[in-house]
Amino acid sequence: MIVLDPNGEKLNLMPLNVGPSHPATHGCLRFLAAMDGETIVASVEEIGYLHRGFEKMVERGTWQQVVPYTDRLNYCSAIMNNIAFCRTVENMFGVEIPERTKVLRVIVNELSRINDHFVCVAAAFQDLGGTTPFMYAFNPREEIMCIWEKLTGARLTNSFARIGGLSRDSYEGFEQDVLAALNSTEKALKDLHACLDRNRIFLDRTVGIGKISAEKAISYGWTGPCLRASGVASDLRKDEPYYDYETYDWEVVVGTQGDCNDRLQVRLAEIEESVKIVRQALKRLAPGPVDIVDPRIRVPAHKLAYQDMEGLIGRFKSVYEGIRVPEGEYYCGSECANGELGFTIISDGSGHPYRIKVRPPCLTQFAAFHELVEGGLLADSMAVLSGLNIIAGELDR
Amino acid sequence: MTVEEIFAALEEKFGVKREMHDKWGVTAIVSASYLHNVVQFLKDETGIKFDMLVDIAGIDYLTYPNHEGPRYAVAYAFKSMENPGARIRLKVLVSEEDLKVPTISDLYANANWYEREVYDLFGIVFQGHPDLRRLLNHVEFVGHPLRKDYPAQKRQWLSTNDYLLPELEKRLETLGYRVVQRSKEVETNDNEFLEGSIKA
Repeated sequence: MIVLDPNGEKLNLMPLNVGPSHPATHGCLRFLAAMDGETIVASVEEIGYLHRGFEKMVERGTWQQVVPYTDRLNYCSAIMNNIAFCRTVENMFGVEIPERTKVLRVIVNELSRINDHFVCVAAAFQDLGGTTPFMYAFNPREEIMCIWEKLTGARLTNSFARIGGLSRDSYEGFEQDVLAALNSTEKALKDLHACLDRNRIFLDRTVGIGKISAEKAISYGWTGPCLRASGVASDLRKDEPYYDYETYDWEVVVGTQGDCNDRLQVRLAEIEESVKIVRQALKRLAPGPVDIVDPRIRVPAHKLAYQDMEGLIGRFKSVYEGIRVPEGEYYCGSECANGELGFTIISDGSGHPYRIKVRPPCLTQFAAFHELVEGGLLADSMAVLSGLNIIAGELDR
Repeated sequence: MTVEEIFAALEEKFGVKREMHDKWGVTAIVSASYLHNVVQFLKDETGIKFDMLVDIAGIDYLTYPNHEGPRYAVAYAFKSMENPGARIRLKVLVSEEDLKVPTISDLYANANWYEREVYDLFGIVFQGHPDLRRLLNHVEFVGHPLRKDYPAQKRQWLSTNDYLLPELEKRLETLGYRVVQRSKEVETNDNEFLEGSIKA
């Protein structure tokens, strides 16, 4: 198409379609760019290729049946979504979960965060043509995946949390496995920093690319590491603490430039903080129950069904009718790997959710994508995309 | 200024009511005609600057037990960056006859996509929105799936890609460019393109 630029000069632009199934558009994302040579002049995005109707599907089941669906939101850190959802419903009940569950949830939360950030950094580097850091990052990630296998029985879609507790307690040797994973995480971090920090090619590709100011990021509703990379120290774990996050010794990581490099470096630094939190949490892990004892919220233990009339009724009622969440509407956000994952829940007091609206952190970040890539090179748009860590599962729901 | 005080100020200034369904936080029921002013007030004039729009959620009360009042609602969630932890929610009730809510996309950049999403899923029209298209669903999709009377198992035949070239031209124009000669692809019959190559 032929256009006149703001100075009145004639330009011949080429519309170029990128995605939806391009290896570098992880998941299914599509954007159409008007190219002036190698430079993107304007860009528009389209999403929805992975839209499965999460919000419609969850209205058909019981409250407990929502948990497996939340796995499929951000599948790189599935357990965090489970916990965010269960925390929201528990807040509606106004119940306090046992101490051991809190600590266990902190541990699996932070391990998931490590996992998610590793995937993001590794994939970003892979997109820029570096395969070595990918291997460095995926070794500790594999160890955490093996912990997930032992702990939850699944590698990717774990469904670990339950409303009012956890699906099961940790296994014997869990602490040792976590410590070993933390050690290899720290080793991998050293290797990654050695690869990234002074790598001329990497710096050329990421420094100053896809810059966004703090004001603009806030106006776009950015949260999580991407917002912190622009210099805003906003972290729900500090701002609205839950699970005693405020009592652990850790720092909110903040960037300065808000460019692609900062977004990746913030993630690497956050892995360090997560390692710190998990180490402290392991020391606090004391024996105790993991589920709250209330058949109206958490299904009674299986063995009770054979011993006890109440237990049998409790299991029967909570499976067939579902738990009854107090009527009302509530919004609650949790700090997930990509930012604030929020659930707006409307309950009519029956055994089924009336409406659950997910606030995915990715959506706001991808909504600003055109502002980040316009004026840059086409190749840079890939660096920007992987630095944002767009997960199509939660973007499209 | 606490969130409760801000709610009191809103009550005095705009006559908003408290949503009693929200037992856990502060939700104000705002009439659609005041929405823009209330949001502007929350963003710029209150002691707590609610400078981030966290979420916009559509709600359909069709099958809600003992529900009285308009069928739809749009719920906005805001939070403050300067005063971490301060949150407020607004709710606009939308009747079935008049599915219109003023846009706030001029105040918050992310409202653009959020409003498109609510339009897509509930069919609520945001007046003054610069580009009110479907966001998650397909361009050929008929109906609004999160309405309670839309059957979850219903299937639709969708055959073509979203047609982004006109949007690209719009975007170029907002950046100060002027399209002199359109791409050949845009000149095809739009209707034919949108109806898809495979007819049901």
